[in-house]
Amino acid sequence: MFHSPTPYALGSEAVPAATDLSRDTIAALATPTGSSALAVIRLSGPACRGLAAEIFGREPQQLPVRRPVYASYRSMSGQMLDDLVWVFLPGPRTVTAEDTLELSPHGNPLIVQLILDDLFKRGCRPAEPGEFTRRSFLSGKIDLTQAEAVMDLIHARSERALAVAQRQLRGGLGRVVEGLIAELLVLLARIEVYVDFPDEDLPPEDRFEVIAALREVLRGTKQLLATERFGGLLRDGVKTVLLGAPNAGKSSLLNALVGRSRALVGPEPGTTRDYLEERLKIGPHLLRLVDTAGLNPLPGAVERQGMAKTLECLMDADLVLWVLDAANITVELDPVYAKHLVAGKVIVVLNKADLVAGGHIASLALPHPIKAVSAMTGLGLVELGLEITQVIDRFAPDAFGAAELAVNARHAEALRRAEVVLDTAANGLSAENEYPIELISSDLRSALDALGEIAGRVDHERMLDALFSNFCIGK
Amino acid sequence: MRDNLTLPFDVIVCGAGHAGCEAALASARTGARTLLLTGNLDTVAQMSCNPAIGGQAKGQIVREIDALGGEMAINADVTGIQFRLLNESKGPAVQSPRAQCDKKAYQFRMKHTLEIQPNLQLFQATVTGLIFEHAAAGARRVCGVRTNLDLEFCSQTVVVTTGTFLRGLMHIGQNKNEGGRLGDFSAKTLSASFLEAGIELRRLKTGTPPRLAGRSIDFSRMEPQYGDARPTLFAFYDTRDAEPLFHVEQGAGNGVTLREERLGWTPGRDQVPCWMTYTTDRTAQLVRDNLHLSAMYSGEIEGVGPRYCPSIEDKFVRFADKPRHLLFLEPEGRSTNEFYINGLSTSLPFAVQVQMVRSIPGLERAELLRPAYAVEYDFAPPTQLYPSLESKKVEHLFFAGQINGTSGYEEAAGQGLIAGVNAARKTRGESPLILGRHEAYIGVLIDDLVTKGTTEPYRMFTSRAEHRLLFNHGSAELRLLNHAREGRLISPSRLARIEAKAGRINQWLEILERMRPVAGELGVGEGTWADLLRRQAAKGGGMAEIQAASIGPAGFLELPEVERVEVCYRIVYAGYLAREQRQVAKLLEVEKVKIPPDFDFSAVRGLRAESRSKWIDARPVSVGQAGRISGVSPADLSVLLVALEARRRDRLAAVPDQRLD
Repeated sequence: MFHSPTPYALGSEAVPAATDLSRDTIAALATPTGSSALAVIRLSGPACRGLAAEIFGREPQQLPVRRPVYASYRSMSGQMLDDLVWVFLPGPRTVTAEDTLELSPHGNPLIVQLILDDLFKRGCRPAEPGEFTRRSFLSGKIDLTQAEAVMDLIHARSERALAVAQRQLRGGLGRVVEGLIAELLVLLARIEVYVDFPDEDLPPEDRFEVIAALREVLRGTKQLLATERFGGLLRDGVKTVLLGAPNAGKSSLLNALVGRSRALVGPEPGTTRDYLEERLKIGPHLLRLVDTAGLNPLPGAVERQGMAKTLECLMDADLVLWVLDAANITVELDPVYAKHLVAGKVIVVLNKADLVAGGHIASLALPHPIKAVSAMTGLGLVELGLEITQVIDRFAPDAFGAAELAVNARHAEALRRAEVVLDTAANGLSAENEYPIELISSDLRSALDALGEIAGRVDHERMLDALFSNFCIGK
Repeated sequence: MRDNLTLPFDVIVCGAGHAGCEAALASARTGARTLLLTGNLDTVAQMSCNPAIGGQAKGQIVREIDALGGEMAINADVTGIQFRLLNESKGPAVQSPRAQCDKKAYQFRMKHTLEIQPNLQLFQATVTGLIFEHAAAGARRVCGVRTNLDLEFCSQTVVVTTGTFLRGLMHIGQNKNEGGRLGDFSAKTLSASFLEAGIELRRLKTGTPPRLAGRSIDFSRMEPQYGDARPTLFAFYDTRDAEPLFHVEQGAGNGVTLREERLGWTPGRDQVPCWMTYTTDRTAQLVRDNLHLSAMYSGEIEGVGPRYCPSIEDKFVRFADKPRHLLFLEPEGRSTNEFYINGLSTSLPFAVQVQMVRSIPGLERAELLRPAYAVEYDFAPPTQLYPSLESKKVEHLFFAGQINGTSGYEEAAGQGLIAGVNAARKTRGESPLILGRHEAYIGVLIDDLVTKGTTEPYRMFTSRAEHRLLFNHGSAELRLLNHAREGRLISPSRLARIEAKAGRINQWLEILERMRPVAGELGVGEGTWADLLRRQAAKGGGMAEIQAASIGPAGFLELPEVERVEVCYRIVYAGYLAREQRQVAKLLEVEKVKIPPDFDFSAVRGLRAESRSKWIDARPVSVGQAGRISGVSPADLSVLLVALEARRRDRLAAVPDQRLD
């Protein structure tokens, strides 16, 4: 994974490897592997023009530019590999700022492989993971947050993650942080004016107004920070734990949801002694479905071990599917587990609903949505899927409304630093403390520096701009 | 005939304003044979605008000048007629000394200082052009100057400190006069010399208010503003040598020391007040009615003026909801009754000025001695300079002061000192003196100028310094000690005293952090003395309270007050100062990655065009400086780092290991 350097971080990790400056031409399949109607092979680097001319029999200087061309692809040995569409895009107006060539053959994995092999024979080399993005970043075509968004885009496993990544790519996060910076600059100007212009005829200093404004910035910072967990959900999946008594049918449910036999399923209760994890998509969301050892009231030694793991899983679960036997409902649960069943992140699943005579299921007084299903017959699974989608939808931080944003670990680290110093500043401004104003200013500047690591360095000249436009200064 | 003027000089300084005086003194004091040329010897070190030295950030600069062996601090102390410590109610880092000075006494003393300075030759002549020679590889090098007297002077280096005199044009309403200052001339041909050498010039504008006759002012209608009972002086008398402090009428040879109190006046004694009054509705009306006649509003002026020093027209137009504006009447000296109206800068016609002045309480019958005017002048965008203040276009040519786009006597003097030292060092092949952004306001000033340039007359503010908490005015000597030592800028005896002072401060810092009050002393059982001080500060607020409370063991309380103040400051603010130090360490990391002078930015693949052209123009000397240029993205910096790293590896690979030889 490509790490994003801050201007002041000079660790080996932060500085892209020197090979980035090589003049290699890279090639890779840009679409998913597997059969499809069409595939896209992308090339980037100085050899693109020559390759297109060579392969498709054109004059290098008379290549059609930015125009799709239908042609036959012949290998170096003269073998016809496919009829395809190619587009030549000269740099620097390309994603990588280099000459780029795109080939769209038919989506047959064999054809794709033959073309790639041929390109490698002609002097290209396979692109490393994320190398197009890295070139794009190094060419200055995209900024840090955008580069990171592209990485997320590549790794986005669900539509939701994709939407957020795309929004960030368009600068959404940058704009929100820039908004915080702008507020902070005005705030700083209101403080600085009293420091730098002591003999001016200024309105009296009003610390309370400053505190109020500061709290606004702090709130915005916290809101942004709160999206970190959501970001994790998008990137890594929603950790969904299957919880329930032995033989309630947790593993069967997991298999039913995943659609194939994965967990050890047996008639004996307590077959799942450790836990199993399976990734699957439900609606627009990616789930990490975790099957756990059953909660046996009288566990054996091995089971006890498994149950400790269950508790561990439960503690950092994003969503819990509490599986009960519809024919034999017991809602009593050891408080050690019960306290982790927080409303909003639990769905009660009444399994084996097909075995209940006449379909009459006792009503339950639980603060969670309840869904009756049968892992065996598939009864109610679609409805359960919809319920899961809705519950996860509500995880999205609503602070930003439609503009869904999710900060990554690097952003969160900077935001947390900003949060700490803003808190210190608010505290220092309070009536009981009244710290000297230049200390408050020092805190606010630290916050600006931290936010600047996300949105780009904040020049102090901008504070002066805010100052001179808001206060009449000058003798 | 060869005399003292026809021998080649080491350094020639053109202009004897605040920058030129410091440049010439610094050059001569560090051992270079120096010639100071000025168009008029009677206007040496003239305060063209208000009669005051210091103020926010500027006061700290003056103390830094003193720490580096400059003259401005002591000159202002000895000729000061009112002293105030600004922001006294705020923390020590943002407190700044300021003094009203006797304008004429200031000039006379500075002129006399120049006259008696060994190694320094003073001469009246207007510089009309530079003399170049062609150095290797087509580069141009300056080797002397031409003057209006057809006399040519040769030198190894030249420092240009021409202020507002380059194609100076003054405006009073529609009236225009050539000149850099009312009553003075304009240097018209020197600009051509710069252009010939490929140095770009642009226009700036500044202004000054009218001057009034004291006898016509009714002070009873105004509020007095007095100086401090305990004046804060600029120079460090606790470490300075007992050199003669003199007024010119006493002569340097017969000079007396500060402690002997035989001066014409002792710094801080017999202070005079300033006076406060306000504009009225009638003033506002006059401005609005006559706006079309203002040189600035009628489009007569192309230069950009400073935002922090707006004309009265600007104030009423831009802040129309503000009913009145504060004005200060500042005395211009003890031996004159002329007053400066701070806050009433304008380029309205003279007739309007008279009406405007008379619309102000206390000035109903005021007589104007000099009109307000705006002045436009050429400046050389300072991004054309290295951090040493040497031109990137012409070798051995240095620039300092207002020609670099700054405003203010202190900003000019600070640059002058650095340019003077570096011009002298250049003649000896020594590396330049460069102050860091983390060390001094002068460091911030020069780095801002050469890195970012300026679009308005640049004035220093404390808020421009990222690490201003480290820049409390009392610590200037301590901060700049290493530079003063390495540059041999101050006498060995003063150096020894500063070192001893720094030693005592560090020692007490350590002791107070470790030592606990013993039985019988204040605050027993409440932790160390340092804890006690910090608690006291949190309780009572300010540093003043702490000093008044006399907290500390016996030996500490006997320390000189300035040292005790410094120790208390560092203890009470320890957490914040430590954070600043950490940030400085981070800054120095990238500052260490140097960009070789022959590095070719245009050959770096993958830079955005904006950054590329900015770096080609600015020629940053380090990655730190490259990152401070506005509009440069972190991505570009990464690319630069990669390119520098690649170059380094290439060089390593290309050069056989020389250690084997």
